[in-house]
Amino acid sequence: MARSWATMEDFEAFLDDGGLVEADDPMPDAYRQAVFAFIEMHANSELMGGLTERDWIPKTPGLRHKMAVLAKTQDEIGHGHLLYMVAADLGVKTRVEMLEDLFAGRSRFHNVFHYRAVTWGDQVAIAFLVDAAALISQQAVFKNCSYGPYKRILRRIIAEEGFHMRLGEDRMLRIAEGTDRQRLMFQESLNRWFWPALQLFGPDSESDDVLLRWHIKSERNEVLRDRWVQKFVPMLQSYGFTVPAPDMRWDAVRHRWDVGPIDWEPLKRTLAQGGPDSSRRIREAADNWSRTAWVRAALSHNNVAANDAGNGSTSAGGS
Amino acid sequence: MSEPHGVREYLLAFADDEHLMGQQHTEWIGVAPFLEEDLAVSSIGQDELGHAALLYELVLDLEGVEATDPALDVLAFGRPSDDYRCCHLVEYTTHDWAEALVRHWIYDTFEAMRWQLVAGSSLPKLASVARKALQEEAFHRRHADALLDKLLDAPEARERILEALGAVYPLVEGLCEPVEGEAGAMSTGVAAASTADLLEPLHQAIEARFDSSDSIGSRTASLQNRRTKRSADFDPLLRRMREVLDYDPGAVW
Repeated sequence: MARSWATMEDFEAFLDDGGLVEADDPMPDAYRQAVFAFIEMHANSELMGGLTERDWIPKTPGLRHKMAVLAKTQDEIGHGHLLYMVAADLGVKTRVEMLEDLFAGRSRFHNVFHYRAVTWGDQVAIAFLVDAAALISQQAVFKNCSYGPYKRILRRIIAEEGFHMRLGEDRMLRIAEGTDRQRLMFQESLNRWFWPALQLFGPDSESDDVLLRWHIKSERNEVLRDRWVQKFVPMLQSYGFTVPAPDMRWDAVRHRWDVGPIDWEPLKRTLAQGGPDSSRRIREAADNWSRTAWVRAALSHNNVAANDAGNGSTSAGGS
Repeated sequence: MSEPHGVREYLLAFADDEHLMGQQHTEWIGVAPFLEEDLAVSSIGQDELGHAALLYELVLDLEGVEATDPALDVLAFGRPSDDYRCCHLVEYTTHDWAEALVRHWIYDTFEAMRWQLVAGSSLPKLASVARKALQEEAFHRRHADALLDKLLDAPEARERILEALGAVYPLVEGLCEPVEGEAGAMSTGVAAASTADLLEPLHQAIEARFDSSDSIGSRTASLQNRRTKRSADFDPLLRRMREVLDYDPGAVW
């Protein structure tokens, strides 16, 4: 398994040939840092996404419906769990360090989870629009991802996210075919979530984006964003909802929807932890982490979970 | 109370307990002490809600109503509060994770004993649900026990756990309190013995597990009046569970 690359050119040639880097390979430090930061943000986002949805889980309308929602949440937190292990294996930070950086507001998570789900409609909009956006991004990473451990985890994540999106679509359809109050609720959710979901893809990729050069991402941000727009704009319209983009127009020549100019200021604010719900979300997560510190301390006293919490090896008494 | 009414009330008490216990687990997702625990409560919560759904289905069977989602949800969410038969332990709003863990252990210890009472039930569907549930309960117990084994061994954690035990202990008596209709369930062979018979074994199990007579204190009589009286925590909990349903009563979600 011992491989090495004398120069960055050799390493990049290996990546260009479709080579897969493994955790114990002597990869260039810049690559290690870039892959780590990308996976850390993905892990943080799975976790913070769970916290965004948890506000509404206890209120899920319906007994069997609630079981389905719990299964989805279990998947999402499971993704976070797996991703933190993959990230920790890169040796940059331990899982605890990643969590503590997250709760101290020192690391990033996706823009959408800096917003609050204020109605049940928002919960459905997240499952439908945001999960779909995440899925489009993840599929593009999976397609050509040069970091082996991440690629293998993504295979599973993508399979599960596909189910979540279908659950979200199914719930959206019930609302679309439902009462006036339901439709109004969802239209308002759409007004709140359409742009953040679109901004999830980020501004157009820079020409020198190392994530593209090192085959961590396989497609440019604007290409992925456009894929989402072309799918969701007609779908939302066909169910009678209004896409909240006043300057949107149909480009008859290119046969595409053009949503018009995108204001990136809201995205930038979330990157600086200044989104509409950033401070509450981070504060509550941090408070909760400190309130339960005694549990982790006691388990590490028994030499069980400290190891687990530190490097993500085995489960601490989980079923 | 006639026998069919008794059986119905017996099943409802069981179903309501499972439903509310599952509901209470949903409140701890994402705020547990570590990720594995978030995963465990979402899994255990699904199991308990699944038991509730199967038990409500049995009630609908008795009524000759098809067990569609809306019919199930009317039973689960749509009854007046004094028609519920849950115990106060599952209605109780916990104040911290230690209380949630202690309740989880006590409830699941009791639940495994309760399923045994119906494992040979004259209702074949109930007996088959019991077999499935007993397998799951073994995992639930193992989960709670693994945590308590370690936490009770660490001085500060032990203190917190015992304090939590002191808070929930007064509700143990009510957990084993039968509904009036239980006699009908026993005479028809739906249940092999009374829920009240579980009280002594449950007390013994609690004493063996926590080994602390200080936190347990003296026994507290149930204030549930054969499970017909709700605690102060119930109405806010039911409102929370019904919030979306109440938003538009004609809607299908």
